[in-house]
Amino acid sequence: MSERLHHSCHAMPEILAKRLTLNATQRFQPAWLQLTKGGSDILTVGGAWQHYFDVSPRLGTDVSEACEVLLGMLPLVDDFELSQIQLVDGQYTDVIALCDHDSDWLLFCDVSEETEKFQKYQQISNDLLLLQGQHQRTLNRYVGSEVVRRDAEGGLSIKAKGERRVISTLFTDIRGFTPFNESQDAQVVIETLNEYMTCMLDPILNQAGMIDKITGDGAMAVFGVLDSEHGCIDDAFVAGKQILKAVQTLNEQRQKQGLEQLGVGVGIASGEAVLGMLGTHHRRCFTAIGPHVNRAARLESNAPAGDILLDRDSYLALHQPIDCLPMSLNLKGIGDTCVYVWHHKKTNT
Amino acid sequence: MIQKKICVLGAAGVGKTSLIAQFVYSKFSEKYLSSMGVKIDRKIVQLESQQVNLMIWDIHGEEKFKKITSSYFRGASGVIMVADGTRPDTLSVAQNIFQRVEQDVGNIPSVWLLNKVDLEDQWCMSEGVVKQLNEKYVSVYQSSAKTGENVEQTFFNIAENMLNV
Ligand SMILES: Nc1nc2c(ncn2[C@@H]2O[C@H](COP(=O)(O)OP(=O)(O)OP(=O)(O)O)[C@@H](O)[C@H]2O)c(=O)[nH]1
Ligand SMILES: [Mg+2]
Repeated sequence: MSERLHHSCHAMPEILAKRLTLNATQRFQPAWLQLTKGGSDILTVGGAWQHYFDVSPRLGTDVSEACEVLLGMLPLVDDFELSQIQLVDGQYTDVIALCDHDSDWLLFCDVSEETEKFQKYQQISNDLLLLQGQHQRTLNRYVGSEVVRRDAEGGLSIKAKGERRVISTLFTDIRGFTPFNESQDAQVVIETLNEYMTCMLDPILNQAGMIDKITGDGAMAVFGVLDSEHGCIDDAFVAGKQILKAVQTLNEQRQKQGLEQLGVGVGIASGEAVLGMLGTHHRRCFTAIGPHVNRAARLESNAPAGDILLDRDSYLALHQPIDCLPMSLNLKGIGDTCVYVWHHKKTNT
Repeated sequence: MIQKKICVLGAAGVGKTSLIAQFVYSKFSEKYLSSMGVKIDRKIVQLESQQVNLMIWDIHGEEKFKKITSSYFRGASGVIMVADGTRPDTLSVAQNIFQRVEQDVGNIPSVWLLNKVDLEDQWCMSEGVVKQLNEKYVSVYQSSAKTGENVEQTFFNIAENMLNV
């Protein structure tokens, strides 16, 4: 039997052989059926057909009997490929249809191995997708409800049309989350993310900050919108300090448990922004637009773990003097900028 | 007996495999096993006028880096478009796929599902969105592969529609 198979593999028609080598991916155990041109009767059977059919496809019969996947596709009118068809036994097969001058061809190739390999990656990424959807929903609801609550209490004094006001914007983000993300089980990733998110969001809310946006592994918040006894920059800076402190505490706990620790960086910028409320009663959402918002985002992306980067306007507006280092940074899309670096020292706690 | 091919399409994780498992095997699993390529299932349904042998193509979810190839649509007589009611962006993914279906196979019957309706506290589809869908498409259901809500209806509806074309 193997003798015959061997022989028929060598006899693979050129049109099929060419097609096989065209594909960069490895394909195994090829088998083929030659069909009448413009009809769909089987003329010849070749290759490892036993791999795909329980009984040998009968010559002269209509191919749709042996090959149900072709329902609605016969007779063949042009070339096409059906990839990764799962067979009853769980194997995956590519089915390739080729039209030649005086007959048509169907080529079958086993692609189980590469499909199974790829399934693992797909599973991780899709698990994460579902969990992130859940996570995002919980957080968004949190953000939205805070706006609605403050609004109802009269704590939000913003006109729907838009209003100019000086505010401070804070960005915070986990460092090194992406590689961590790829190396771990999705459930673990989301739980970890939640722990660090709490470290970032609670201090913001405690300092009368408003969470404007939750990014995958960080947040944007504005200060100076909700009523507060302090200046907006002071609130933002205190929130930043508390975030770094909370992260340090969390990291100490995680270290004791032998878990991976992540860092968080913070960027703060201040300036005039246009504030507005969008949407209707139920789904009211707040927006702040101003050049300093972008600056805050850039500062955050340049902040090493454990540091707060402030822009000059923020630094000068602080009511309490702080111990920080001035330096010049080239910010993407902004250019050379004077920034102030505040470093969270462990002894600070 | 008359045979018809149906494609079940949508973004990853919306519940395509679960809906088919509920309809064909009356089973549901919380565990998520992301589909590769295509798996074909069959079920015969008894309509008032006649029996139809449904050939149901469970196609992998559409992803950013893995679009569904249009050769899967060949020979389809109907499509079930699935979105996850707890993830609004999956609806636009379904609409995008449907455009490609229309380009390739023309105007064929479709049923639209907002699935996972049992997850009430996570539901994100506003009444406005549901109304818009209802205006645009003939058959729109809120379904649950978990409880079986509107699952049979979906497949019977598409079977009827395919016969009436
Ligand atoms: N609560 C609830 N969960 C559901 C429902 N439908 C599916 N799920 C869950 O959602 C996850 C994904 O379901 P699948 O049926 O595998 O989704 P799919 O669309 O086939 O996913 P891909 O094959 O990756 O595209 C699984 O964990 C299911 O248990 C539903 O109606 N309600
Ligand atoms: Mg699936």
